[in-house]
Amino acid sequence: MPAEEDQTKQPRPRPRLIVLIASYLVSHSSIFSVVCCIAGLIAILLLPVLAKNTYISENALMPGSANPVFSGQDVSEAIRLVKDITEMRKMGKTTGIEIQRLIVQRMADVGGEAYYHKFQSQSNQFHPLRFFSCDSNLVLTKSGSNTSYGLNTVGIIHAPHGDGKEAIVLVTPYNGENVELNDALSLGLGFSIFSHLSHVSWLAKDIVWLAADARYGEYSSVSAWLKDYHNPVFFSSENVDANMQNTNMLNGRNADVFKRAGTMAAALVFKITEKMERDSRDSLNIYAEASNGQMPNLDLINVVHYLAVHRQGFRVTIGKIVYLVNSAWLNLVGQILEWSNKLAKSLNPKWNFGILSADYVEGVATLASSMYYQALGVPTGSHGAFRDYQVDAITFTFSPRFYLNNENVQSSFLLRGGRLIEGTIRSVNNLLEKFHQSFFLYMMTAPNKFVSVGVYMIGFALLALPLPVVAAALFLNQKATGTAGIQEAKIAFQSWKWLHAARVVLMIHLWALIASLMPYFISQISNLTATESMLLWVVGSISILLVLYMTLGSPYSRSGDVEWQTLKAVMIASVTIGLGLMSIINFATAQIGALLIVPLCLLVRPLKRHMQGALSLRVLSLVCNPILVVIGFPPAALVLVKGFSEGFGGVSIGTVWEVAEFLWAWNSATYLYVFLVHLPCWVLCIQILFHP
Amino acid sequence: MALTRRSYWALAVGSLIFRLILICFSDDLNLGSRPEVATPVTSLRRLAEGYWLKNSSMSPYSGSMYHGSPLLLPVLGPLTIKRVEGLPSHLFCSSIFIIIDFITAMLIRATGQKLMSTNHQSLQRLNLSCVQETTGCTNVGDLASLIFLWNPFTLITCVGSSTSPIDNLMVVLAIYGACSGLPSLAAFGWVVATHLSLYPAILVIPVILLLGYGPDVPPSKLFLLGKSDESGSDYPSDKTSSKQRSKDGSPIYLFSWRPALCFILWSLIWSSYIFFLSFISLKEFGGLSEMMKKTHGFILNVEDLSPNIGVFWYFFAEVFEFFRSFFLIVFHINILFMLVPLVIRLRHRPCFLAFVYIAIMSMLKSYPSVGDSALYLGLLGLFANELAEMRFSFFLLCGYFGISLLSPVMHNLWIWRGTGNANFYFATGIAYASLQTVLIVESVSTILKHDRMLRNKLTA
Repeated sequence: MPAEEDQTKQPRPRPRLIVLIASYLVSHSSIFSVVCCIAGLIAILLLPVLAKNTYISENALMPGSANPVFSGQDVSEAIRLVKDITEMRKMGKTTGIEIQRLIVQRMADVGGEAYYHKFQSQSNQFHPLRFFSCDSNLVLTKSGSNTSYGLNTVGIIHAPHGDGKEAIVLVTPYNGENVELNDALSLGLGFSIFSHLSHVSWLAKDIVWLAADARYGEYSSVSAWLKDYHNPVFFSSENVDANMQNTNMLNGRNADVFKRAGTMAAALVFKITEKMERDSRDSLNIYAEASNGQMPNLDLINVVHYLAVHRQGFRVTIGKIVYLVNSAWLNLVGQILEWSNKLAKSLNPKWNFGILSADYVEGVATLASSMYYQALGVPTGSHGAFRDYQVDAITFTFSPRFYLNNENVQSSFLLRGGRLIEGTIRSVNNLLEKFHQSFFLYMMTAPNKFVSVGVYMIGFALLALPLPVVAAALFLNQKATGTAGIQEAKIAFQSWKWLHAARVVLMIHLWALIASLMPYFISQISNLTATESMLLWVVGSISILLVLYMTLGSPYSRSGDVEWQTLKAVMIASVTIGLGLMSIINFATAQIGALLIVPLCLLVRPLKRHMQGALSLRVLSLVCNPILVVIGFPPAALVLVKGFSEGFGGVSIGTVWEVAEFLWAWNSATYLYVFLVHLPCWVLCIQILFHP
Repeated sequence: MALTRRSYWALAVGSLIFRLILICFSDDLNLGSRPEVATPVTSLRRLAEGYWLKNSSMSPYSGSMYHGSPLLLPVLGPLTIKRVEGLPSHLFCSSIFIIIDFITAMLIRATGQKLMSTNHQSLQRLNLSCVQETTGCTNVGDLASLIFLWNPFTLITCVGSSTSPIDNLMVVLAIYGACSGLPSLAAFGWVVATHLSLYPAILVIPVILLLGYGPDVPPSKLFLLGKSDESGSDYPSDKTSSKQRSKDGSPIYLFSWRPALCFILWSLIWSSYIFFLSFISLKEFGGLSEMMKKTHGFILNVEDLSPNIGVFWYFFAEVFEFFRSFFLIVFHINILFMLVPLVIRLRHRPCFLAFVYIAIMSMLKSYPSVGDSALYLGLLGLFANELAEMRFSFFLLCGYFGISLLSPVMHNLWIWRGTGNANFYFATGIAYASLQTVLIVESVSTILKHDRMLRNKLTA
């Protein structure tokens, strides 16, 4: 081109520093990506070491500054209710609404407003178009023949000092059909707190106690109540059951009328469980993960943790993956860290990070569990329903160290539990604003240790950084080699040549979209086992892929058009966008996904093209590619993970379908990620591998 | 890149069918409430509200709900309340928008054919048809209309119940009318577009240039160069090529005043007509001054600060009240500043100038939506031959994809989840604006480079 020649003849101006750095990075992209990936892996492994101790960020909370006044008298209230319930159970009257009636009666007796909340059990239905839309425009499904109803009971105490605009919600889920002793105890605890709070003078926020009927699952009952709380439903006369209507009059007022308190400041879900293994102390298990990796404000967990450990002497635990605690290689990593810490300390006494191997392994196991539940995108308890309305909520379960049917154990246990909840409510009661001071984006490595977003982003960023660089390098190289060989006639549209590759990528993404919607249609067909559905899904997907190849053209038919370097560049760009988006929607998914997909994306190259370079590199590439392709395939990865954690005996093809069903039923964004980012990328990698 | 006639129509009709399918799900998609799709000026929901107010004999502008033209109310209003059981609301409006999109695409196609024939003629006159042969010649009309029809932005604007397809149609109508030398049509399009959304007023410059000089040609210097070359003066030129050069070197680069004056006259007629109609429809509700205050005044004053993909809302939510008018002037004058330098540099390519103006407009609008981007991205296809050498095309495509996916996510994070804040969403707005800046800068520099290339070819 004459114009280009003219430009080259002119003395080139010194390029700017940023351009220099960029071109340097692009020209050394392979070394750069290797270094970045290894650094990213190390950063992820070091996360438990980098974790900080939690601290209470909001000053207004002031946990533990007031002495708890929850007393033995309140506990005796609880015991009385428990006794009533157990008697009722013995008489075999628990199937109807007797328990609900008893609870409402008690709530009314202590001066609270009480009402029944009837709800339809809604099985989670997959609807492809309602993934991210808010629930407000959901139309209530018309009641079919097989609908079943649950009955929540709700009590409200209006605060003597409040303006009725804010509320704190307590939730005790119990199985309404078959009330066990622990359910009765949770109800007793909930009621004793309710009755205690009905005559305290410091209350500034209303208290709502929801005794959630969990016969159709804890989550559905709580979410149904929350939906009615936030979206007024205008009942027509046909909606109210005829035989319930006359019974629900309470103290001259209709107990079917839905009543509300203010906006919710926080919600506490608590229940008592009986633990199988005995421990030296009573323990408190905290669950916080809500849908799509959302977490409640860290301050809420901190308050509960602080009061439980420093005031009531509970042992606080959060979930961890036991499999990892015993794993040999993790212990090895821990030992290496401990050893290097010792070495550093001997060099300079100030370099003391205080890492112990056992702590590290424990931290990794907890972090992995935290990451796993966030990545799954499925709430770990009924607190998840609150997060959908921007209410901070956690679930905690009490497990006593002795058997529950011992009465002395019961009363001392209830006393401490009640004091813990009272203290938490007092703290939340002090709040002037919503929880906002502390973190929303974090992962826990221990009950009192967390990794904040600023730290855990580093590992992901280092993993994802090579992607754009490699894409740019491939793209520029391709352009350079492309223009050199071809004569001038073909130079036009050189800068648009990537459109062919983009078309292939777009086609694969279109296919992935169709494949991800297919379960909706398959699930409409009744009487299919999981294995059959899965097979139908696979066959359908493959046939659609073939149809698309036939109509829109296979990538190999005009192999001259689509160079594998360009295809790889476009694929990597699309993966970068996908991972970036996912890291905002649900970070944990993006993190795990990046670990699987980034090495595959970076290493993949056609098997038939011989690579220049040392023999070892070539062998490495030959070995790595197939392994990565197998691990990168989502169902294969799932089966491997399941197999290693639960044994390969229970794994079948149907497992994949069940997991997919589980994810979409909970509207997990992970499902979208797997099908719209991960799977198309994998298919494109296969195409590149077998590129002629 | 060549498309047969059959496949072109198949693709065009396919896009219309795709729109129909999307409309069936429009209630589930709920695009009408997205800030990216419907702005306070173009939202169909607000139009329905205004129609209802007017029907109950109140001013449609009361309550700061409706900010569009009063003339849209009797046209689209009755369609907004017509419902069919079991089908999505706004079905009729959406089908109207499908037709409008199709007309727009056809007008873009016709404009493209005009541009192509002029380009071909002028290159022949310069004896540079070899350029067309080597670079290959895309049928830009087909390409541009297909880009317009299949652009995801156009699709969601069409389905998302906003009135921007009408604005787009009027702008394209003005350009088409000017390209084919129809002052009355151009004036109609320009006047209605200005009436609907004010910003197309600046298109008066390219439209007049188009009417005066005709569609895009290489710079006038080249023709003079070609002529002086031919007369065998100081330019050392290739003898063989100069012999082949045609005698058709007449000075074509003269401004013809007649169509331009016609355009001004017609604009006066059309605008008085529009004002008259608006006056009739708003006689009892405050008349024209109320209309100007609530439509154009609303656009200029940036009264609605609800978040959108532009850059105005964030700034004016923060600014102190007593600086407000100053910064309003500063922000609006940004567009006007760029008019003159661009017209000086690009006066030989008025159509491209119109594209650049539209892109700048949609970037610096007070209430931008993706519908505006849909228009200029469609028009971009008209210059495919000239922009073949454009740099950063891949980067731009990735950027558009990334931003258009990221923006709803950030909005969700801020509004629904509460874990993000306004800065998150505004960051995507800034990124979007810079992306458009890169597009404008790159396309203008590519066009200039193309002209330089022609000049080099001529002198070589």
